[in-house]
Amino acid sequence: MTNSEHASIGQYVDMPELLARVDNDSELLTELLALFQEDFPRLRDVLHNAVHAGDPLQVEKAAHALKGMLANLSIKHGAALAANVEAAARAGDKREIQQAMAAFEGEETGLLAAVGRFMAGGEP
Amino acid sequence: MKILIADDEAVSLRMLQKTLERAGYEVTAVSDGREAAEELCRPDGPRLALLDWVMPQLDGPGVCCTVRRKRSQRHVYLVLLTSKSSKEDIVEGLESGADDYLIKPFDPGELKARLHTGTRILELEDNLLEAREDMRYKATHDSLTSLLNRGTILELLASELNRKQCDKSSISIVLGDLDHFKLVNDTHGHIVGDEVLREVARRMLGSVRSYDFVGRYGGEEFLVVLNNCAVEKAVDRAEEIRKAIGGSPIRTTHGPIPITMSLGVYVRGPSDTLPLEEILCEVDRALYTAKSAGRNCCHLGSASQT
Repeated sequence: MTNSEHASIGQYVDMPELLARVDNDSELLTELLALFQEDFPRLRDVLHNAVHAGDPLQVEKAAHALKGMLANLSIKHGAALAANVEAAARAGDKREIQQAMAAFEGEETGLLAAVGRFMAGGEP
Repeated sequence: MKILIADDEAVSLRMLQKTLERAGYEVTAVSDGREAAEELCRPDGPRLALLDWVMPQLDGPGVCCTVRRKRSQRHVYLVLLTSKSSKEDIVEGLESGADDYLIKPFDPGELKARLHTGTRILELEDNLLEAREDMRYKATHDSLTSLLNRGTILELLASELNRKQCDKSSISIVLGDLDHFKLVNDTHGHIVGDEVLREVARRMLGSVRSYDFVGRYGGEEFLVVLNNCAVEKAVDRAEEIRKAIGGSPIRTTHGPIPITMSLGVYVRGPSDTLPLEEILCEVDRALYTAKSAGRNCCHLGSASQT
């Protein structure tokens, strides 16, 4: 097990900010995180496929969508990493894209695991 | 108030929807730009919208352009809500027709305040349009009877005369004058006189077709424009108006008052080119003849085309 597999959701998500944004509605919070669990892997796959296909326009679009989703959920570091991928794609710099993608991929596994544990009730 | 939200990203869409529903908005949520433009261009569509920039089919600025191009009746307040945050993006977004620009992630308080600003602007526009419509109505209608006023009925008559000349159809012009109306005012006072005029207007409107025009021409004089009405029918139609006025006494606060109307008729046929001023003289002459013949009758002007 890696460290990221033990990380709490608070290490990825600014929970006080997110709770304030949903007006302390824990039911809505759960609903949004469930949507995230469903949609994030799909968008991530779109991004990975675009990177492998060497299509910077699609990379930019997919990274932009991920950035928006992560920012909405107060996943600030994740959103910043997605923004780096978007910027690299906009610049058309393949090496930059690879580097930014590596950083993003390093984050996503831990993030999904933390959200998964939170949703399963493994975290207070 | 109705609001449309458009975002292809499910988390953002749901979060927005819940936030806005809590704030009392009636939310329509769509996930592509074309659907958003279609909703906003409907006559009864939402007048407030939050649009993501990057969307399938049509992007946010594309929705703004489409709405501005197609919908002209009433303003739709468009807000772009996007994670595109450069100055160039903001300028491009606003120049596409957006009224405001918000950067994701939105702050609920700021979002509500900005939408409140939009609502205020829409209310202001509604008030201005209502005031304009009110002024237009007052400028074209008689304040006592709510019939078309003299200027408007003459304008309509002029335009109908031009039209009829082109499509070669007949038009009948009827000038009606209440008999001995001065006596009503002198006996019962002007307030009762006004009651009589209002009821006469109501009866006149009730006795013409929806595509005819009735206007108050002077104090107790009324001008009626009967479209597509040839000479064979003109006097019958004028008789119907006469009977509608004189058929039963008018109920007033001073009790029932019998009232009658004399009417002069002029028919302009397809090949008649008599100008408006002379038509008015002809119809006035016909009215005078009806008055001379003992009142409470109709007279067809001799110059009418048969």
